[in-house]
Amino acid sequence: MTNSLAIEVLNLHRSFGNTKAVQGAKFDVKEGEIFSLLGPNGAGKTTTISMLSCLLHPDEGDARIMGYSIKDNPMGVKSVLGVVPQEIALYEDLSARENLTFWGKMYGLRGGALKKRVNEVLDVIDLHDRAKERVSKYSGGMKRRVNIGVALLHKPKVIYMDEPTVGIDPQSRRNILDSVVALKDQGMTVLYTTHYMEEAQELSDHIAIMDHGKMIANGTHDELVKLVGGQTRIDLTLNVEAGIVQEIWKNTDGVSQVSAENGLITVLVEDSNQALPLLFESATKHEARITSVDILEPNLEAVFLHLTGRALRD
Amino acid sequence: MKILDIALKDMLRSFRSFFAIIFMFVVPLLVTGMFYFMFGNIAENGDFSLPRTKVILANLDEGGPKFQVNPKNIPNGKKADTMGDLIVNIMESEEMSDFIELSFAPDPELARRSVDNQESQVAIIIPENFSKEFADIYGEATIEFYQDPTLTIGPDIIRAIMNRFMDGMSGVKIAIKVFLEDAPQEEMIFTGQVVQDYLSVSLAEEENVEKKLLDVRPPTGEQRNKAEESENMLLSIISPIMGGMMIFYAFFTGASTAQSILREEEERTLPRLFTTPTSQTTILGGKLLAVFLTVSVQVIVLLIAARLIFSIQWGNITSVILMALGLVLAASSFGVFLNSFLKDTKQGGVLFGGVLTLTGMIGMIGIFAMNSPAAEKLSNSVSLLMPQGWAVRALMQSMNAEPLSSLLITTLVLLLWSVLFFTVGVWRFNKRFA
Repeated sequence: MTNSLAIEVLNLHRSFGNTKAVQGAKFDVKEGEIFSLLGPNGAGKTTTISMLSCLLHPDEGDARIMGYSIKDNPMGVKSVLGVVPQEIALYEDLSARENLTFWGKMYGLRGGALKKRVNEVLDVIDLHDRAKERVSKYSGGMKRRVNIGVALLHKPKVIYMDEPTVGIDPQSRRNILDSVVALKDQGMTVLYTTHYMEEAQELSDHIAIMDHGKMIANGTHDELVKLVGGQTRIDLTLNVEAGIVQEIWKNTDGVSQVSAENGLITVLVEDSNQALPLLFESATKHEARITSVDILEPNLEAVFLHLTGRALRD
Repeated sequence: MKILDIALKDMLRSFRSFFAIIFMFVVPLLVTGMFYFMFGNIAENGDFSLPRTKVILANLDEGGPKFQVNPKNIPNGKKADTMGDLIVNIMESEEMSDFIELSFAPDPELARRSVDNQESQVAIIIPENFSKEFADIYGEATIEFYQDPTLTIGPDIIRAIMNRFMDGMSGVKIAIKVFLEDAPQEEMIFTGQVVQDYLSVSLAEEENVEKKLLDVRPPTGEQRNKAEESENMLLSIISPIMGGMMIFYAFFTGASTAQSILREEEERTLPRLFTTPTSQTTILGGKLLAVFLTVSVQVIVLLIAARLIFSIQWGNITSVILMALGLVLAASSFGVFLNSFLKDTKQGGVLFGGVLTLTGMIGMIGIFAMNSPAAEKLSNSVSLLMPQGWAVRALMQSMNAEPLSSLLITTLVLLLWSVLFFTVGVWRFNKRFA
C-alpha cells in the first residue's frame, strides 16, 4: 500500500426522478488497499459504483480514478479499471475461453499477449479443465469466477467488485474472498461493496458505511467500532409482544439503545454482565419470559445499528 | 477492429442458436420445397394421375347369337364369347388398369353392397340377357351403373367409358337395322360380315380409351420441348415463392438479430461492455454490423441453396448483387428501427409476430396476385408502401432480366428506406444509452 490515492470521490450526487440515490458521497481509497462500501440493499452502493465506472453521469461532483476524471476522461478511467458487476455478465452460449478472449479484446489485448493472459486468468480462476464448456453449463460459483476473471484480463490497477458473493454457496464465497485478498497482494486497489458485515470486516483496510444514499461513517474497522463506544449487543426474544418490555428496557441502567424487528429485540449495553440480570428482572415483572439470548461483542453491525437505529440485515 | 470483434461474437452466438438456424435457412427452403413437391408432379409429367377407381363388375351375361371379334382388335387381346365378356376384356385392359381397380362379384346384390359398404366406388352389372337383347334388333341392351353418390371424378370417367362403348355397340345395331331394311335379299348372307367389320372397326377405336378421355396438357400451347416446358412452369411458380420466403425471413432475421442489443442489456453484458475502454459508437457499430453480416449470410446461402436445389434463376450477377444488397440493407435497418422502440425482448415476440407479418404480407401481396392482372396492378402499388414490397420489386426485376437502370432505381429506394430506418434506430439507441 502506498500513500498515493487510487480513487478520490468528490461529493457525488445522483438522483432518479425524485429519489436521491446518492447524496454527497465522499471518500478516498489509497493505492493497494481494499476499501469496502457497506450498507443494506438500496443504500446507494451500486449507484456509486456505476458513477465511478462511468456508466452513470453524476448530477453533481466528480471522482478521479488513478488521476483520470470520470467526467472529463472516462476512457482513461476505463483503461485502468476492472469491473465485476453484481449480476453475472457473461455470454452463456460461449465457453469460458471464448468469453475471456472476447472481453480481452474489448480491453485492447491482441494476439499472443491475449492468448497468454487468457490462460493465466483461467489458471487464477481454476477453470482450465473446463474452459471449452459453455458457461451455461457452469454452476453459479463457476460463473462467478469467470465473472471475476473477465475483470482481471488487462491487469487493471483498480478493481470494483459489486457484491460478488450474493447468492452463492459458502465454498465459492470463500474462494472469492481469498481471491480478493490475492488481488490486493498483487498490488491492485479493490473497491468492494457488500451488505455482509463479516466480509467487510474480514477484507477491508477501510470501510465506508452507506445508508439512504448518504455516507454515514468512514474509517478502519477499529475506528468504526469505537463509534459505538465499545458497546455490546444483546439479541433477545420474548414469549410475548415486545411492547411495554421494550419501553421499560430503554430506561434500564446500562442500556443505551433498544430496537425491535420481527420479534427480535436488539439491545446495546455498556456491560452485558451487569445489564442482563436487570433485563431478566424487568421482563419477569411484566409477566414476560425471555426465550433466547445472544450476546455479540462490538462489530460493524452494532455500528450500523448505533448510527441508523436499524439492523444492517434489514 | 473492435467493431469486427463485436460483430463476429454476435454472429457466432446467432449461428449457434438452433432456432435461428431453423428460421434463417431451413424454414424458407422447407416451405419452398413443399410448394415444389406440390406443383412438381404436374409440371414434370405434363399431366396428373388420378387415384384409381375401385370398380366391381357382375357379369351375368348368358350370351346370345355367336359372334367373333378379331382378338387383335379387342383391348385385352382375349377371346370374347358374349357382349359381357367384351366389356370385361375392355375393363381388364392394360390401358384401363392405370385408373381402375377391378374386382368381380358373382351376383348383382353383392356388387351393390360392395358400393354401399364403400368397398368399391362403382358397380357395373351386366344382366343375363345383355347379349340377347343386343342381338335382337328391336331389343334394349342395358347395363346397370351403380356408384357412390359422394364421388364424382372417378365414377364419371368410368361412366363416360361405358357410354362410349355402348354408343359404339348401338352403332352396330343401327348398321344392321339399316342393312336389313335396305339390302337386297341376295345380300342378306353378308349380315354377319357387316357386323364383324363394324365390331372390328369400333373396337379398334376403343383402344387407348383412357388417353382419349383424359388428355391433360400443360397450359402453354407452344411446340416446345416438354421437359423444358414443364421446368419453366415449375420455376414460374416456385421462384416468386422462394424469393418471397427469402425476403420475409431476411426481415425476420434482421429484427431478431438486432434484438441482441436489448438481450445484452438484459443479460447485463451491454453495461459491462460500456465499462471497457470501448466507445459507445464502436459498440453500437459492432452490433449493427452483426445484423448486416448475419442477414447477408442468410441471403447469400438462400440464393445459392435455392439455385442448387430448385434451379431457380435469380438473374444476372450484377442484378442479383444489387437486389441482395438492397434487401440486406433494408432488412437490417428495419430490424434496428423496430427494436429501438422496444423496452425489452418480451415485447419483441408481439412486435415481430404482428408488425413483421403484417408488413411482410402487405409487401408481398403482389406475389399472391401474380395470376390476376386486375389485382396485380393494385396490389403492386399497395406493396410499395412497405420496404418488403420494394425488395420484392427488386427481386422480380432481377429475375425478369429487366434493364439495370430500373433495378438501380429500386435499389436506391431501398437504400433510402434503410437510411431512414437506420438513422431513427441509431438515434433512439444512442439516446437510450447516453
